[in-house]
Amino acid sequence: MEWWLWPIALFAITFAMGIVAVLAGVGGGVLFVPIVGALFPFHLDFVRAAGLLIALTSALSAAPSLLVAGLASLRLAMPLALIGSVTSIIGALVGLALPTNAVQIALGATILAIALLMWRAGRSEHPEVVRPDALGAALGMHGVYHDPALGRDVAWQVHRTPTALFAFGGIGLLAGMFGLGAGWANVPALNLLMGAPLKLAVGTSGFVLSVVDTSAAWIYLNRGAVLPMIVVPSLIGVMVGAKIGARVLRVASPRVVRRIVLLVLVVAGSRALLKGLGI
Amino acid sequence: MSEQHIYARWLDIGTRIAFVVLLLSFFVYVFGLIDPLVPHQDLVRLWSLPVDHYVSATGAPTGWAWLQHLHRGDYLNFLGVAVFTTITLVCYARIVPALPRLQAALAAIQIAVLLAAALL
Repeated sequence: MEWWLWPIALFAITFAMGIVAVLAGVGGGVLFVPIVGALFPFHLDFVRAAGLLIALTSALSAAPSLLVAGLASLRLAMPLALIGSVTSIIGALVGLALPTNAVQIALGATILAIALLMWRAGRSEHPEVVRPDALGAALGMHGVYHDPALGRDVAWQVHRTPTALFAFGGIGLLAGMFGLGAGWANVPALNLLMGAPLKLAVGTSGFVLSVVDTSAAWIYLNRGAVLPMIVVPSLIGVMVGAKIGARVLRVASPRVVRRIVLLVLVVAGSRALLKGLGI
Repeated sequence: MSEQHIYARWLDIGTRIAFVVLLLSFFVYVFGLIDPLVPHQDLVRLWSLPVDHYVSATGAPTGWAWLQHLHRGDYLNFLGVAVFTTITLVCYARIVPALPRLQAALAAIQIAVLLAAALL
């Protein structure tokens, strides 16, 4: 196959991925690594680096408007991002040191766990937080944002901050190791564990991701695992696809798309698992 | 202006610059306007190798050595990637003076972690 067909094929598949990701409410990174890892001949090291950079650039692009609108909170994100960025560095170092088949097995198991989490985890628009915990209060994890859909200001505070810090440590480790982005775990942790309103959880998740993935991305960059021929067409594909997806969202059924994404994740995760086991 | 708005403003500018740099450099690379370190046809053969084997086979730079290869089409793209991976650090540094003491300490530690990642 001629070399120039590869970036075109990557653009085409990531364009579709970008559309589906928006419709299913997931980040492009979580689809990119298992799908591109399964369909393309690139080594997993390069796929994970590209996955991290795709998740990072998407999060960086979205963050300014979310911060200005108050739908992402800097003070809520800072301590969580700090823990996550330390563990993402460890994850990236471990991921690059492990044998490929061990990473494939762990990646497959993680993708299947993500599919299960997406299927089972509920969401709560405005969780009730009766009393904020001492650490969260000391770190200034509270605020007010304006919700245009409700037409009023929404005050928020959080609880279970120490447990959440531990959870974000684990999430950062997985994000660094597999280049998956981490919205799939950040949102439930912020919303269901800490009690942040869903909109704030989604916005702040992206901000946390931008810091966590930056740390891990440096590790991959410094090891020589960033190949522009893989990264740039994929990044453009996901971004353009996401813009189209946002328009399609008005007419599509997100529930159906979400089920398709779950199925794709189960197939891609099983394939990675079997590949790692040499089956 | 709150620290959140300052951060957003700097991040927005940095992200736009990074995109322009990355797209221009990729255009230069993919159309062969500047010779790459690893020729396009060879890359297809080599990208199935683990990264350490790829580095041995191509002499690809690791760490910050890519800065010495900016005259190569493929490594010119690293400028845009590096802007993306540096923006967060710059934004944190910018808001430190606007933060209360505890948050400023957290931001300073975050900057140290990002620097450590960049130098590892």
